[in-house]
Amino acid sequence: MLERIIQAYNEAVFETDKEAAFAVVEAALAEGLTAEDIVFRVVIPAVEEMMSNITRDPDASLAQHFMTAQIAAEVTEKMLQRFAHPPEIIGRVVIGTARGDLHSLGKRIVMGCLKALMVDVTDLGVNVPAERFVEAAIEHDAQVIAVSAMMVHTSTGEDGARKVRALLAERGLEDRIRLVVGGAPYRFDEHLYQSVGADAWAPDGVSAGRVIVDLIRAVRAGKEAA
Amino acid sequence: MPILHVCHLDGSEHRLEFETGLSVREVLDGTPYRVRAACGGTGACGACQVRWLAGEANPPGLAEYQKLTPEERAAGERLACQLRPRGDVRILLDHPAPPSRWRSIDPADLRPAPGARPELSQHVYGVAVDLGTIHIRVALWDRKRGRRIASRRGPNPQMSFGADVLNRLEAARDRPGRAEELARLARTAIIQAVRDILKRDVGEVTPMLAEIGQVVVVGNTAMLALLGGRGIAELLAPEHWQSRIEVRPREPEPWHRDWFMPNAEIILAPPVAGFIGSDLAADLIACALTDEPAPAMLIDVGTNSEIALWDGERLRLTSAPGGPAFEGVGIRHGMPAEDGAIHRVHAGPDGGFRLDTLAGEAARGYCGSGLADAIAVLLAAGRIKPSGRFASSPGPDGLRLDPDNPRTALTAADVDAFLRAKASLSAAMATLLAEAGLDWSDLARLVVCGAFGRQLDLDHARATGLLPALDPARIELLADASLAGCERALLSADGIEYFDRIASKSDTINLSWIEGFEDRYIDHLRLRPVPPLR
Repeated sequence: MLERIIQAYNEAVFETDKEAAFAVVEAALAEGLTAEDIVFRVVIPAVEEMMSNITRDPDASLAQHFMTAQIAAEVTEKMLQRFAHPPEIIGRVVIGTARGDLHSLGKRIVMGCLKALMVDVTDLGVNVPAERFVEAAIEHDAQVIAVSAMMVHTSTGEDGARKVRALLAERGLEDRIRLVVGGAPYRFDEHLYQSVGADAWAPDGVSAGRVIVDLIRAVRAGKEAA
Repeated sequence: MPILHVCHLDGSEHRLEFETGLSVREVLDGTPYRVRAACGGTGACGACQVRWLAGEANPPGLAEYQKLTPEERAAGERLACQLRPRGDVRILLDHPAPPSRWRSIDPADLRPAPGARPELSQHVYGVAVDLGTIHIRVALWDRKRGRRIASRRGPNPQMSFGADVLNRLEAARDRPGRAEELARLARTAIIQAVRDILKRDVGEVTPMLAEIGQVVVVGNTAMLALLGGRGIAELLAPEHWQSRIEVRPREPEPWHRDWFMPNAEIILAPPVAGFIGSDLAADLIACALTDEPAPAMLIDVGTNSEIALWDGERLRLTSAPGGPAFEGVGIRHGMPAEDGAIHRVHAGPDGGFRLDTLAGEAARGYCGSGLADAIAVLLAAGRIKPSGRFASSPGPDGLRLDPDNPRTALTAADVDAFLRAKASLSAAMATLLAEAGLDWSDLARLVVCGAFGRQLDLDHARATGLLPALDPARIELLADASLAGCERALLSADGIEYFDRIASKSDTINLSWIEGFEDRYIDHLRLRPVPPLR
């Protein structure tokens, strides 16, 4: 039964058909699956499969990235209300677009995937000053700051990721908080993320989910070791 | 429509469809194959000789007896301005004009005179300019009589600094001398267009320039800032996008000198806000959107798509962050609506396709309407799925709609770019409606402006969700509406106040701050009719 549900769900996600995906979920609940089963055995594996496929599938469209993340986030949100116990959160992230940048849709894909992967996400919105990123990360005890920048001047400028890095260094937070960047300009120069002081980058929103989860784990492992 | 077959001296040939009643010169003026000319098509200069080869046309008239020798007439020489075909005709373009990037605007795209200034006693001529990111449109008017002398369209030479306005603004801000260079490029292009009109349609240039009393320029805020050399830094900071930005040059005097227009009042029509230019205001003026109490919407599809919603009392204006796919930018074989652009695609027999190109040339790529058509036709045939993926992957080189022409290939990334642009546009329209508490069915009019809109197939646009499924009787496709609005301002005594009136009725909305826009955007990321508001 589970096999069939997984296949039907994956197909609906692949076809970016949100209504069909929800119909699969409703039918699965009616057949007796729990909300936990749906999140952990259907939705999360589907997101993970998409993450591993996306770089190998030259025809994967940005529309598919959006819908994968959106459907995963919406289903997860709906299922969480039915959970018997609140699920364990694997970590916390603050996310926003760099100062001067209003392109909010890229980070939206990232947020959708992270929510489905049980990461607590605080969305700082668009045009976010560097200070705000750092203050919010401290306030929420986040392991990762994610800065999205879609324009050349916001991805490389002094008010974006570079300033976040400087503030982290200044305040001695570099062990506790990692910095990840994403956005079109980083795709054109795969070393750009280093030159703006980021610890990691991702070429697309869905892969960013994986990169961020890895960073969270690294920070937590570092803490436990200490 | 009848066909004008144009043969060239090198043996090549072009087919041009035309409206019966036009002279051969009028047909050719809208194409790259212009005849020589030095009068306004009155037969006075005799420069526009062509050779008639076949087909039915009017007999030679008085001007042709005066300007052509008996030998020339016997050989079939005619004056293109006097030659009016009565059906399919074949001519030889034996005296072509030197190549120019300026050509006449299709008469079907121009609007009737919106008024006149009979009270004017001197400097009665005026120039209306629509300064677009990709194209510039110019019309010369006799303001006193309310008569359009001629019009031109041509490329914006700033294109060499990028199709994207942000690239041009950054170049102007960051590189010394670049702002002046960009301003000069635009100013030079405008005056070249005016001189082309004077040379070909009037017959004298410098004395006429001195008779020009007013020049009105509309454009998006970035183009006006680059033209006037003011407001560039503000435009690069998002906090200014919803405020009014001063773009008028501090010192207009050098323009009078450069343009040889000592008596012209040069007006840069004020933009409504950083991201809402006076081109959108001109669209609204041209179609009188705010004259009726019924709700109405206007969209101007271009590099950025601007949207205006009139609810009977106020205008809500916004700009959709859709990317320039509708201008062909970011599409593998994308191009502006220029010669050789595929602008219409039809399903042919046996699963093939029929491609219509502008100026009847061999297909060089897709302009926005051609792209929208191609995707709609492939969707209907089941070869593209609602997700935007090809049913079977065509590979990295894409699917050729004409198997013999590689420039007709559409790739998966092209479909994706279209999908995102159309989702942004239709989600922005839906968001404005929701903000006003209206629904699609409340709209008495939907006006679609821009070259893109004029070529659009409504059934296709509605099937892919590019436009809402409104009754076609409520949808108006208007090319060159910005120029028409600019002309209306030029021909009225208080013209520039039109722009202030639009601004005073307007609220600008930045979709980045509107809750729900992103949800709608994602809902619209499918190839299907526009979903109902929720």
